[in-house]
Amino acid sequence: MIDWYFSHIVLVQSTLTTLLLALSVQVPLRAGVFSFAGVGCYGIGGYIAAIGMVHYGLSTATAILLSAVVGGVVAYALGLLIQRLTGLYLAMATVAFTLIISVLVVNGGDLTGGAAGLFGALGMLDTGHLLAVAVVVVAALTFTEIGPLGRRVEAVREDPELASAMGINVARYRRATFAVSGVLGGLAGSMTVLLRSTVTPDDINFHLVVLALTIIIVGGSRSWLGALVGTVIFVWMPEVLAFVGEWEDVVYGVLVAAAAVYLPGGVTGAAVAGYRTYRRKRREAADAPPDGPPPQPVAAGVGGDS
Amino acid sequence: MAQHILNAVALGSVYLVFALGMALSWSTIGILNFAHGATFMFSAFTAHVVTQHAALPMPAVVLIAVAAGALIATLTQLLAFGPIMRRATDHRSAELRILIGGIGVAAIPLAIAERVTASAPFGFRGSTYQAQVFEVFGLRMTTTVLVIVVAGIGIGVGVWRWLATSRQGLALRAIGVDSETASLMGVDRSTLALGTMATSGALAGLAGALLTFQLGAISPASGDQLLIKAFAIVVLGGLGSMGGVIVGAFVLAGAETFVLAMNQGTWVDAVSFGLIFVVLLLRPQGLFGRKEVRRT
Repeated sequence: MIDWYFSHIVLVQSTLTTLLLALSVQVPLRAGVFSFAGVGCYGIGGYIAAIGMVHYGLSTATAILLSAVVGGVVAYALGLLIQRLTGLYLAMATVAFTLIISVLVVNGGDLTGGAAGLFGALGMLDTGHLLAVAVVVVAALTFTEIGPLGRRVEAVREDPELASAMGINVARYRRATFAVSGVLGGLAGSMTVLLRSTVTPDDINFHLVVLALTIIIVGGSRSWLGALVGTVIFVWMPEVLAFVGEWEDVVYGVLVAAAAVYLPGGVTGAAVAGYRTYRRKRREAADAPPDGPPPQPVAAGVGGDS
Repeated sequence: MAQHILNAVALGSVYLVFALGMALSWSTIGILNFAHGATFMFSAFTAHVVTQHAALPMPAVVLIAVAAGALIATLTQLLAFGPIMRRATDHRSAELRILIGGIGVAAIPLAIAERVTASAPFGFRGSTYQAQVFEVFGLRMTTTVLVIVVAGIGIGVGVWRWLATSRQGLALRAIGVDSETASLMGVDRSTLALGTMATSGALAGLAGALLTFQLGAISPASGDQLLIKAFAIVVLGGLGSMGGVIVGAFVLAGAETFVLAMNQGTWVDAVSFGLIFVVLLLRPQGLFGRKEVRRT
C-alpha cells in the first residue's frame, strides 16, 4: 500500500488538482452557465503563485490564498462584463479569455518569464494539504447541491424564467458561479504550479479546456461526485491503458465520443438511473403480492416462510 | 505593402474555405463540429500518404483530400452526431453533447496522424506539382497563390449564393430558423444533415490541400488552431450569414498579417481570441447576423 502510494504519488496529487479544475467548470455548468473562465483563472492562479514565490518570496499558503482571491475577483469581473451572453457564445467568449491569458504571459517580459515561463516555484505542499483543500471544497459544494439552495440552483439551470418568477435573482446566481469558478480555478492552478515548481504559457492551452469539459461530461455534470469519477477516469486512464500503448489516444477519442452518444448523464448519471430502476423493480416485486390476486396455495406457502 | 495585401488575401482564402464549412453546418443544422479541424488535417494527411506511393498532379491530390474530408464528416455524422440528435431530449443538451462528441471524434484522426508522422509536419513532396513563380505589377506571386485565391473566392461566393437562392438552400436555412416547422413543411432533416456534413467536410478537405500546397507542409496539430480562428470568423461575420463569413475571413487574415508585418509575431494568436471577445461584447450578433441571439 505504502509502496503503491509512493510510486503513484504524482497521479494521486494530479487527481486532486485536476478535480478542482473540473469543479471550476462544473459549478457554473450546474447553474446553466457554460463558462470556461475557471480554466483561465487556473492560468492566472498558476502564474500569480509562481510570480509570488520567485519574485516576491511569498510563503506557500499566502501564494495559494492570493491566487484564489485574484482568480475569484477576475472571474467575477469577467462575469459582470459578459453576463448577457448565453450558451455556446458564452462558452467561446470564456475560451477566448482563457487563451488570451496565455498570449499575455508570453508577452509578459521578465515578470512572467516570456515563452520559457518561470522556474523554481516549489511550494511546501504535500498530499495531505491537497486532500484537505479538496475535502473542504467538496463539503462546501455539497451544500449547493442539497436542500433549498440546491433546488434553487437547479431551477436557475432548468428554467431561468420560472426561477425569476419564483423570486430567485437569476443574474446574481450566475455571477456568483463565476466568482466560485474563479476561486476554484485559482486554487487548482496555484497548487499545480507549486507542486511542479514550473509554469509555462503552454500550460494554459485549449487542451486544458477540453480536458475539463470531457471530465465533467463523461463523469456526470450534476454533482461533485461526477467530477471526481471523471477525474479519476481521465487521470488514471493512461496508466490503465498502458497495454494499448501508442493507440491510447485513439481509445480515448472513442471513449469520449461513445460517452457523448450513450451516456447523456455521464457515468454517475447512468449509475444513478440504473440504481433507481433496480430499486423500483425491487419495490414493485415486494409490493406485488399484497396487491395481487389471492395467492395460490403453493405461493402462500412460500410467502409464509419469509 | 502590396505584397502583404497579397499574402493576406491568400491566407484569407484558405480561412474562408475552412470557416465556410464550419459555418454551413453550424448555422443550418445546428452542429458546431469540433472535429472540423481534425477533418481538415486528416484529409491533407490522407493525400500525403497517397502521394508517397503515386506521383499525382495537383488536381488529383486536391480531389483525394476533398473526398477524404467528405468521407470523414459523413462518418462523423452517421456514427456520432446523428445518434446524439436522435437521442437528445432538448436542444441545449444536444448542443453540449455534439460538442463533446466532436472533441472525441477529433482525437482519433489526430492520434493516428501523430503516430504515423511522429508529430512531424507532412507535405505533398510526392506530387508532380511544381509552383511557378511569376511577377504581376512587381509582386512576387506563385501559381499556388493564384489557385488558392480563385478557389477560395469562387467557392465562398458560390456557397453564399447557393444557400441564398437554391431550393435546398432555402430548406437548409429553414431548418436553421425552426427545425420543427421545417420538417412539417416536408424538409427531410436527417438526409439534408448528412449532405450538409459531407459538403462541410469536403470544404475542410479542400482547405487542407490548399494550405498544404501553400505552406509546403502542415503539422498534425494545426487543425485545432484553425478551429478557433474559424470560430472568430463566424462570430465576426454573424452566425447564419455566409456573406459575413467571407468578410470575416479576410478581416481576420488582414489583421493577422498586419500584426506580423509590425514584427509583433507573438501577438498574432491574440488577434482571433481578442476578436471573439470584443465582437461578442459589443455586437453579439456579429456584423451581418440575425438580430436575435438565440437564448438557450
